[in-house]
Amino acid sequence: MNRHLLLAVALLLIAGTASAAGIPGDADGNGVLDQPEYTAAVLAYLVGEGDLTRTDIQDAAWVLARWDGRPLEITDSSGQTLTLSRPLRRVVTFTGESLETLRSLGFAMEKVVAVDKYSHEKSTFFPECGGKANVGSIWSPDMERVLTLRPDAVFLYATISTAACDEIQQKLDASSPGIRVLRFDCFKPATYPGEIRTIAAATGCEDRGDEFARFYTSVMDGIRAGTADVPDDEKTRVYFEYWADYKTFASGSGYNEKLEIAGGYNPFAGESAEYPEIDPEAVIVSNPEVVVKLTGQKLAAGGYVGHDVAALEATQSAILERPGWTRLAAVADDRVYVIHSDILGGAQHFIGTAYLAKWFYPERFADLDPNAVHQRYLTEFQGLDFNLASEGAFVYP
Amino acid sequence: MMRSAANRLFCLALLLMVVPVAACGTPVIRSLSTAEPGAGEVFTVSLAVEGMTLGGVVETLPDGYTFAGTDHPDDRVLVRGQRVAFAVTNETSITYSVQAPASGSGDIIGTWEDFIAESHGEIPPSRVAVDGIDVPGAGDPSPADARAGSPCTALIAVAGLLLVAYRGGRR
Repeated sequence: MNRHLLLAVALLLIAGTASAAGIPGDADGNGVLDQPEYTAAVLAYLVGEGDLTRTDIQDAAWVLARWDGRPLEITDSSGQTLTLSRPLRRVVTFTGESLETLRSLGFAMEKVVAVDKYSHEKSTFFPECGGKANVGSIWSPDMERVLTLRPDAVFLYATISTAACDEIQQKLDASSPGIRVLRFDCFKPATYPGEIRTIAAATGCEDRGDEFARFYTSVMDGIRAGTADVPDDEKTRVYFEYWADYKTFASGSGYNEKLEIAGGYNPFAGESAEYPEIDPEAVIVSNPEVVVKLTGQKLAAGGYVGHDVAALEATQSAILERPGWTRLAAVADDRVYVIHSDILGGAQHFIGTAYLAKWFYPERFADLDPNAVHQRYLTEFQGLDFNLASEGAFVYP
Repeated sequence: MMRSAANRLFCLALLLMVVPVAACGTPVIRSLSTAEPGAGEVFTVSLAVEGMTLGGVVETLPDGYTFAGTDHPDDRVLVRGQRVAFAVTNETSITYSVQAPASGSGDIIGTWEDFIAESHGEIPPSRVAVDGIDVPGAGDPSPADARAGSPCTALIAVAGLLLVAYRGGRR
């Protein structure tokens, strides 16, 4: 990128980023907007005096009504504390998970001015994003475009791809310190409920955030409660295979966390690599009771595009034909499943975890209907007109 | 007989088209204690405000008419010439007084803003005329104001045009 151009854009925009300034209408500059200050600002605006714009007054009203006239301090998942003096009006998301979470919270999507290239391409799941600016990926960000869009907030990952995200944040901090960089993962069961509430507070979507957090927590806590009393030596033994054949995951990975919440025992959890490649013979020796194969991304089959259940079925068939696998308990008992990463790897991980629980313990979770959870999520929280009975393919069988 | 049924149908259609249009209206409705005050008489203007947590209203009085007080807290009112601004904080009604001139007529016009809902619009004008003597053109909104019709006015116009077109097509 042309460094001089980037510098020029940055210099032009430094003064223009609103969120860095204090609360509009805070006449005495003490960092708190009280009622008399607000009223004076409103009256001056109404008669055309003063220099506050309509947006300034709307922001002042927001701060007074929602934050009691004080700046909002939030701590994101990277541990950094940020101060917001105004509501977020121009948001750039570099992660599909935070974008999806914003939509779950009912955040006005027109305030998202740009998205990462992957979300930009997901025209079925993010139909409203096709017309938004594309800022590339965290590994290849279009910083010039980001700055030109004059965002007041940029969302990045907190604990994965940290080097790439740190670099983006450093560039933003250096060129336009008014831009708030918010870092959340939005895919980890341990931190997602808190992230939902923090993002909801930052965006003024507290009520909806509370509703969504309760929905999410009811599913995940129900799964945890359903497997809490399973002794370790009675846990369902699971071989979970990544997109690549014989590649699995060990403890510490996000997928393993979900497997364990669902009450599964991963015989390869102790491997030193986070995503180790396993000797085929070792899989046979471990004799899993359940096999789960992941599709999506590097194994394109299923997902939100189309209704290609046959592709998932073919994936399962290929697994069943592996040499020596007829001896596996999972194969003998028809417990070989295929799941798409869309519902296990990102913000929808609770849906996939519900499927895992159901597969691992069908009797304990007889009343759990992961498909109904999925449909409710799409309809009620994502606002999508998407019928799982005739669209998409996420699990098989 | 047929003509009477057609007229009833026309009225029903008009009602069905106008009711939703009216329902999309302003959260601020103005009413006057009298639209025909006597010379120098002080009359009352009431604003019914609905669902406005934090907002504002600006009323503009016709030339010659003067603001004469309000029940709204002093620190939430600002008068500039013919304009009276009210800062709204959850109020459901605002009442203010206006003193009529010795003669003259015109429209009280107003605008509202809901800063939380981030919406704004116009309050339909209210005609006042001293002793009911309306002077055409006097005190009317400026051409610029007149151009800035409310969305509902436009909708009513479109509804009317569609209805006329429909009736024309039936003949």
